[in-house]
Amino acid sequence: MTADAKVLVWVHGDVLDPRGPALAEYPDAPAVFVFDMALLAEYKLSFKRLVFLYECLLEIEGLQIRKGDVAEELAKAAAELGCSRIATVDTVAPRFAQICQELRRSRKLPVEILEPIPFVELDKDEDDELDLKRFSRYWQAVSGRAMKL
Amino acid sequence: MSENFGPLRRDFASRAELITYLKKTFPDEYARSPQVSGTLGGRKAAEERLAAIDPTRYAATRNSLEGAITRLSPYLRHGVLNLDEVRRLALEKAGHAAAKLVNELGWRDYWQRVYRQIGSGIWQDREAYKTGWRAVDYAQELPADLREAKTGLVCMDSFVEDLHDTGYLHNHVRMWLAAYLVHYRRVRWQVGASWFLEHLLDGDPASNNLSWQWIASTFSVKPYFFDRGNLERNTEGRYCQVCHLARKGCPFDAPLEQLQERLFPNLGPMPVPERDNYPRKGRRDDRRR
Repeated sequence: MTADAKVLVWVHGDVLDPRGPALAEYPDAPAVFVFDMALLAEYKLSFKRLVFLYECLLEIEGLQIRKGDVAEELAKAAAELGCSRIATVDTVAPRFAQICQELRRSRKLPVEILEPIPFVELDKDEDDELDLKRFSRYWQAVSGRAMKL
Repeated sequence: MSENFGPLRRDFASRAELITYLKKTFPDEYARSPQVSGTLGGRKAAEERLAAIDPTRYAATRNSLEGAITRLSPYLRHGVLNLDEVRRLALEKAGHAAAKLVNELGWRDYWQRVYRQIGSGIWQDREAYKTGWRAVDYAQELPADLREAKTGLVCMDSFVEDLHDTGYLHNHVRMWLAAYLVHYRRVRWQVGASWFLEHLLDGDPASNNLSWQWIASTFSVKPYFFDRGNLERNTEGRYCQVCHLARKGCPFDAPLEQLQERLFPNLGPMPVPERDNYPRKGRRDDRRR
């Protein structure tokens, strides 16, 4: 990948802020959202959820909205728009990791994954050592920072 | 999967026009449940809600249906807003009095971290039920009377209608409805979790499923359940007043100790409902996160 390879920003349903990290990093790049039809069917998402999502998408200026298989649609959009790499924002959903892998392996599209804005800043060691067995333990570790501006 | 849809439309003169277009674009979803929520999507609507938060009143009144809740959850779930900006505004507005709201934002961060760690494991019982029942003792289907809002319990039927019509439920309502399904109807939490994800605009697999597990006791040390007094007080009596079961036949109308014996007969003496161990005020039957 070369630095000047044209970027396609992939906007997904976990970061729909028009000023989110990927859109902010590449303000002039084309951006695409894909309704994941397999996921919609799996979760039997109701119509009202789609209306809500669509309204969020309409506030992201210039965003191209598609539906279908996410990796396939992103690859199509990239080809149509002359883009050779993808930039997006990280999220914990396992499906996100699967799609990134498919983009890289099967679609030969490099994927740059930007960090979302964290709730509180933790360094890597702190992050790794967080005890998640119960909320109370987690909260003991982060509440001091969460209460500071 | 190779069907070629191309880009979808973005130019709509009104919400009604958008909805007409989406009915054609997502016919299966529309056929499943045609309701549209009054809650608007988008950053503008989110910012209006954000500007209106009142962290001090939130802390004092959030358990009540009339309380000063923020209604930010659909926007947080889809990253239209981020936790940090809500946290900062809450602290700017209320200083230390924002502690409760910031704590609740922490719950979302916590569930996301657990999701990162266990992935699709959020669908499996994290631990055994602590109800005296085995997982196989729980039914695997949503009872038809509940899905159709025809249980005869005005509270539960109203909650179901709200879920289906608006895609939103107050947090306390979620807890009552979940506890009713899992403990009073003895249905597996996964059934309720899937149902909520279909409908809640803020439906997030991590927050949703792990909260259901917290109610069920598969991700907490004790099951959460409630009595009529708790529900009646926090709803200003609005359901009980018009419920024909209010005088006789309300399944929630008993002291917690008796309800415990009825719901969990295989358990020994009262393990009180789940509470987390940070300091909080509240009556004994109000134990909730």
